Amino acid sequence: MNRTIKLVTPDAPPPKPAAAPEVTRRKLDPTGIRLGVLDNSKGNADHLLRMIVDGVRAEIPVKSVVSLRKPHVTFPATREVLDQLEAEADVVISAMAD
Amino acid sequence: MSNLDDLLKNDGASIDADDDFEAINALYLERGWSDGLPIVPPTTARVEKMLAYCDRPWNEPIAKIPPRWGEATPLRLAANAVMAGCKPEYFPLYLLAIEAMCEEQFNLYGIQATTHMCAPLVIVNGPVVQELGINGGHNAFGPGTHSNATIGRAIRLALVNIGGAIPKTGDMSTFGSPAKYSYLVAENEAESPWEPLHVERGFPAEASTVTVVGAECPHNVNDHESLNAEGILTTIAGTMMDAGSNDPCYEAQPVAVLGPEHAKTIAQDGYSKMDVKKFLQAHGQLPLGKFSKENIERRLRVKIADRLANAPLDALVPMVQRAEDLIVIVIGGAGKHSAYIHTFGATQSVTRALKTKDGRLAKSVQDFRQN
Repeated sequence: MNRTIKLVTPDAPPPKPAAAPEVTRRKLDPTGIRLGVLDNSKGNADHLLRMIVDGVRAEIPVKSVVSLRKPHVTFPATREVLDQLEAEADVVISAMAD
Repeated sequence: MSNLDDLLKNDGASIDADDDFEAINALYLERGWSDGLPIVPPTTARVEKMLAYCDRPWNEPIAKIPPRWGEATPLRLAANAVMAGCKPEYFPLYLLAIEAMCEEQFNLYGIQATTHMCAPLVIVNGPVVQELGINGGHNAFGPGTHSNATIGRAIRLALVNIGGAIPKTGDMSTFGSPAKYSYLVAENEAESPWEPLHVERGFPAEASTVTVVGAECPHNVNDHESLNAEGILTTIAGTMMDAGSNDPCYEAQPVAVLGPEHAKTIAQDGYSKMDVKKFLQAHGQLPLGKFSKENIERRLRVKIADRLANAPLDALVPMVQRAEDLIVIVIGGAGKHSAYIHTFGATQSVTRALKTKDGRLAKSVQDFRQN
């Protein structure tokens, strides 16, 4: 029978999830939501997002849509883009597509 | 630096297993802590020997590795280094490479998660090359050298185990890459007619450095016929031109790897390293019409709109935007070959030097350890 030995684990756990975002407690305007769209600049992401926006419009009232784009798919959105989405949108949809 | 027994009491820091090589390998494979090859069991004794070469607290992260953003502590990194088969004296260089690739400009998140087949290439310069026996000569990109193979492998294991670059989950590469097993080489400074990469980047020759590049595998450049610099460089420029490369759409830093024989011929014609870069930048340009119509309209005219939005089909698209962006190094042994390495594009290379605790450049691992 083999003896038991202690081994060091090589993996790292994922970071603890952040607290529930403030947006979940926002009060939405019953006359329509302000919809934000963040195109990650992948090919066809713009088409997919347009279809999603149309789908949302068909289901619930939409007061406004702000559409912004990341300069490169592989880099994060700039602070300015995130600030504008935070200021002008109640809900933001991002998408990727290849 | 720290007490290993205390650290291993932390939740998840260790596991108990039967002292059986096959069983341990099966367990680590089952948990996904593997590159598919057998591992050396990371016992506490082996990990502690590795950590003897660490000058920092063993449980404090030196970096966070994307896409999982797992905390790369010396303790976890030591476990991965043991698993890869590293000797303890490799550990400082390994940590340095991990730190370099976690700098923001390298964009490790993109390199890890992309569908592209890139991997971090580590180029080592300085006295540490000889000290650790890192191969920059014959078969430098291939098998057979312990330090190249195991440090490179330890990096991949950390990227998977700590960073979460698990194939089909955190690593979405369409093909993967043989470079994702191990991708570490030295520059062949002794055979180079020019200043080595780290000196070009502002470090003294006696510094020991790593340079990380988000790279594809090398593509061979066979030129047994050209007798002068212009001929060899023309062949390399011809190899650069690739309609499927990411590089033309970014401020990329691809790598021209000159074999020593090619480098010697080029230098004998009076070419400096910058002359080589200028030639290759100027001649490694593909006419726009060589790309597909869809790529021209949806990619090149959009991503390089300032130059190509309305350009004719004979307009030239450079494979590297500026001559100084091209990395030129000498690697390899005898033979009239060079190589060219395309990159992920959306990444900037990073060079970091091995330093002692008081911030002085360490000439060697031994110097690092004594100070």
